[in-house]
Amino acid sequence: MITLVRAAYSAFYMSMRLRVVSPFAVLAWLFFPLIFAVVGLYVLARPGTAGPQLVYGVLGGGLVGFFGVAYLDGGLSIQNERWNGTLEQIFAVPTPLWVILLGKVCGSILWGMLSFVPTIAIAYFGFHALVPHLDAGRFAISFGVLTLSMLAIALALTPLYALWRWALPMFNGFEFGFCILCGFMFPVTVLPVWAQGVAGVLAPTWATRALYASTTNDGSHDFGAWWLAAIGLSVLYIFGALFLYRLIDRRARMSGELALA
Amino acid sequence: MSRPSDSAIEVTALRKTYASHRGTFRRTRVETVGLDGIDLAIQPGELYGLLGPNGAGKTTTVKILTTLLLPDSGEARVLGLDVVTQTDAVRRRIGFVFGGERGLYWRLSGLDNLRYFADLYRIPPDVSRRRIAELIERLGLSGRERDKVEIYSRGMKQRLHLARGLLNDPEVLFLDEPTIGLDPVGARELRVLVRELADAGKTIFLTTHYMFEADSICDRIAVINKGRLVAEGTPASIKRLVEDQGVVEVEVEGISPDHLAGLRSLPGVTSVSVGDRELAQVVTVRCTSPTDLMTHLGVVLAGVKLQKVSSREPTLEDAYVQLIAESS
Repeated sequence: MITLVRAAYSAFYMSMRLRVVSPFAVLAWLFFPLIFAVVGLYVLARPGTAGPQLVYGVLGGGLVGFFGVAYLDGGLSIQNERWNGTLEQIFAVPTPLWVILLGKVCGSILWGMLSFVPTIAIAYFGFHALVPHLDAGRFAISFGVLTLSMLAIALALTPLYALWRWALPMFNGFEFGFCILCGFMFPVTVLPVWAQGVAGVLAPTWATRALYASTTNDGSHDFGAWWLAAIGLSVLYIFGALFLYRLIDRRARMSGELALA
Repeated sequence: MSRPSDSAIEVTALRKTYASHRGTFRRTRVETVGLDGIDLAIQPGELYGLLGPNGAGKTTTVKILTTLLLPDSGEARVLGLDVVTQTDAVRRRIGFVFGGERGLYWRLSGLDNLRYFADLYRIPPDVSRRRIAELIERLGLSGRERDKVEIYSRGMKQRLHLARGLLNDPEVLFLDEPTIGLDPVGARELRVLVRELADAGKTIFLTTHYMFEADSICDRIAVINKGRLVAEGTPASIKRLVEDQGVVEVEVEGISPDHLAGLRSLPGVTSVSVGDRELAQVVTVRCTSPTDLMTHLGVVLAGVKLQKVSSREPTLEDAYVQLIAESS
């Protein structure tokens, strides 16, 4: 068990080191979130428009960055392993692949959280935007639930990237659609009813809703239900991921596609 | 549970096909035979070479034995363990090195690469520290282990590959074309290392298409073509397959396909191949009677500028070429 934990930590540490020297990783946690944050804040912080919606400018860029890294980073890391020729190497070691990918995904989650640093900094220093009615306790729980939902999404998607070479370009194309559906930059309630239905099956939607609600002093929100919805969906994703990891072991060994770039 | 067996590697009727698709709009499924029912038995401590042309099934065999691929049918056991169902146990006891420069994290140091894989092989830290230091020393990477792999020479990268393959002190080591792309000195150093490992008791399964490599270090070799084994034995016994033959090498300029056809039609000629040597082409003719052949050369190669004609004893490469020609 100790050797498994060490293997997972080693995968986490290795993935963080490779991210530090990757221009794409810097783009993902720094520049993209900043662009979203600045545009959001510019729209929402103009005189006469500042109000409870301003928080979408303060946190939205960070949420887009956090999601973007969690959502795609696993795929990019699998693709990099394929290009390096190391995907076969890590597949054929005595450590189960899910343990290695768990370490990598934890790295993605931590890396994604970094997106909040530049976006909140630009909100505070650039636009003097504050969140005066923040309920710290509920905010912290909501953020924890959000992190769990991001982890579950990353865990479920990463094996797909290993199994299916089309997965990365395809999911890349859907990224901003998911950002809209999850309500990172504006409330999901402004979307059409059918889109709200789709948004409802995404765990981050509920966690984000709770996160934003914890920044207002309106006490009428049903935090418990939202947290439960996000946790329940995350657990479902993790069960899906377990199935995919079993599948990957068989499918990859049948097709021999791990070696292909 | 492992099954008691005298063999370190035992393969029975192993078969593997690959599915792919042909066409862009009208896609049709195409099946390619990778292995067509091969049998192998390799003894502990043996250095066994698998020779064959590109696409013959060498890498497929190695990938099945290293648990990276599943066979369609047949059975493969390494150290008595089934490579299909006992993957975890197999992976703990084998090492593998694939040829080529890929397979390493180039933006990290050699030491970081080794530490990472030691953790993935679940080697306790005190053991891995000691073993990594030993391997760095033994494989001549001392002083360069903290450099990034991207600035390593091709030979250093291959030695680092070998160090990675030896991290878990494997009982069986698979080497898939380990000297491919290496300069002659680097390739020779690697061959010496591989021979030393076999002499130290490790079972080594090596694939190559360098005949002199197999001839110089392997205890036994097998020749594979189109997924089937066409010969197996010691290098000397394989060479004996063509001992009744001779080889005539003719250095020429501007030989045509008609000339080659003329050579092939001569009595006693078993195969004709053409290669390049500096500014000339070298036609290698394998035949039962070099003396008879030489008397016909002037007629068959009329109009071709002959630079040099020589006769020599057949080598393992000649035996290999004949075996491949006969099985194609």
